[in-house]
Amino acid sequence: MGRAGIAILLCSAIAGMISGFVAVFLLPMLPISSGIVLALAASFALAAIVAGCIAPVLLSTGRDVIRLENQIEEAIDSGSQVTLHCGPWLRPLADALTQVQSRWTEKVLKLNTRLRELEIRHRLIEAERDHAETILNSLHDAVLVTDSFNEISLTNHRAAELLGFDTSTAARRPIDEVVHDPRIRELIKEIRSSGVVTRQKHVEHAMESNGEAGGRTSTFDVTLAALSDGQSGVGGVVTILRDITKEREISQLKSDFVSQASHELRTPLSSINAYVEMLIDSEAQDEASRQEFYQIIKSESDRVSRMIDNMLNISRIEAGIVSVDRTDCDFVKICNEVIETMQPQAAAKDIMLSMKSGPLVYTADADRDMMHQVVMNLVSNAIKYTPEGGRVTISVENDDTTRSVMVTVADTGLGIPPDALPRLFEKFYRIENYKRVAKGTGLGLNLVKHIVETVHHGTITVTSELGMGSKFSFTIPYEDPTSR
Amino acid sequence: MARKKILVVDDEAHITHVVSLKLGNAGYDIITANDGEEALELALQDPPDLVITDLQMPYMSGVELCARLREDPKTTQIPVIMLTARGYALAQEDLDRTNIKSVMSKPFSPRQVLEMANDLIGHDEQTIVEEAA
Repeated sequence: MGRAGIAILLCSAIAGMISGFVAVFLLPMLPISSGIVLALAASFALAAIVAGCIAPVLLSTGRDVIRLENQIEEAIDSGSQVTLHCGPWLRPLADALTQVQSRWTEKVLKLNTRLRELEIRHRLIEAERDHAETILNSLHDAVLVTDSFNEISLTNHRAAELLGFDTSTAARRPIDEVVHDPRIRELIKEIRSSGVVTRQKHVEHAMESNGEAGGRTSTFDVTLAALSDGQSGVGGVVTILRDITKEREISQLKSDFVSQASHELRTPLSSINAYVEMLIDSEAQDEASRQEFYQIIKSESDRVSRMIDNMLNISRIEAGIVSVDRTDCDFVKICNEVIETMQPQAAAKDIMLSMKSGPLVYTADADRDMMHQVVMNLVSNAIKYTPEGGRVTISVENDDTTRSVMVTVADTGLGIPPDALPRLFEKFYRIENYKRVAKGTGLGLNLVKHIVETVHHGTITVTSELGMGSKFSFTIPYEDPTSR
Repeated sequence: MARKKILVVDDEAHITHVVSLKLGNAGYDIITANDGEEALELALQDPPDLVITDLQMPYMSGVELCARLREDPKTTQIPVIMLTARGYALAQEDLDRTNIKSVMSKPFSPRQVLEMANDLIGHDEQTIVEEAA
């Protein structure tokens, strides 16, 4: 545009000069009448004069146009408002352009602001979607949302894993192609076709937990909720599958515990009941028999009460509501006290009950009464299952590697069958063949393990050789690890 | 006429003791066993007139003992009273393959055990015979 302007100006200047030249030199040579020649010469000369006068103006205007053009280009490049400079000839045009530019700049600013807003909104929505997906995927429950065409609209990793599909390809595909479990498909369709957005529906459903045959069968609580379509119908269905296998197992364990506990309680109660009835019926024929009955009733009620105490203590520890009174426990002293208490029982079976300890045994941060109970329980078991003339030895030492006090109760008794070792600390477990050797609640070792491991963060181990004896060792940290 | 003989089986010594006393006082001869295996051995050696047994015992359960007694011609007719802390554990098929005549759940009454024994092996006649003698 600029160059074209200059070219026009140059052309018009050159044209003017040529006209002048023609008027002055060439026209008189032509064979035309002098009046016409004069007229033509005058007009060419006039044209040359006009061209000579206008050319500078046109040239300056042409430069202005070029400047304007450059300024406008600059303004467009920089995107900002620029004041246009030019000579007086183009001023009105420059002013108009400045106004137009100003209006456009304003519009561009507005649009930019709007764009930024939209970008922020977009980022927020993306973040929210990521957030929701993260939440959905971190759920242990499987979530499956289907639309009104029974196609998958939203799901999570757990659902994919459980129902055997790929999350990346499942979206917008019909459940018949994606979900392998026929019962789940049926339930979703049932809810959707019911046509009413009612309350949630819960169904218990067992299936392979990895979505394929041959996996572990788990029990699921399936929650189905119909989504409204915005009017009055059902738009889609949210299906949530929660694995309740563990809960079922726990509830089974609980009911087993109750049934086992009541069974175990019935045995001593049965004796008490029978002997009381015998006394009522005057079946004890002499004072000695009566005394025997009283003794049996007393010892069996003690047994019931011990069992109840043990059960309560175990359940308190399991529930985490046991009160622990920690002091610096001197295990040598505790073991000596236990030996003193148990000596008569040991002597009755001619069992040598002794104790050995290192020269300096540290104290440990523990509940003294509980520690007494643990040592008592182990020593009492050792005496019970050691035949006459045997030995029971308690040793107390420091175990510097674990920074704990270690107490070991070893006997020369019957020993424990290898198959019984893993179950020894279970509730109510008693070695079947030893039931007649000694009475027990089947709870003592479970309680001991709980006191040592759950309450005091120590360890308990047992080694045994059938017919040679058993060795129970437990450790209690010098300092309670949870108090640091 | 010889006194009727009852075999009492339980791994709880107090229980065998109290049942033995009750039935012994009522004029029965009593033998006791601590588990199923021992009981089976005693019963086959010298078959009793009645067996009173616990259900849950070491080595051999009460039901297993009864089934074995039923299998042997010498003991196949012997009626059994089952004492159990778990009455529900007895399945119909266990009752069908044994000679269990009565199931008493613990805590039980020695009085009722005696009554049941009398019903099953006719102690009343025995007492009359003894009293006459």
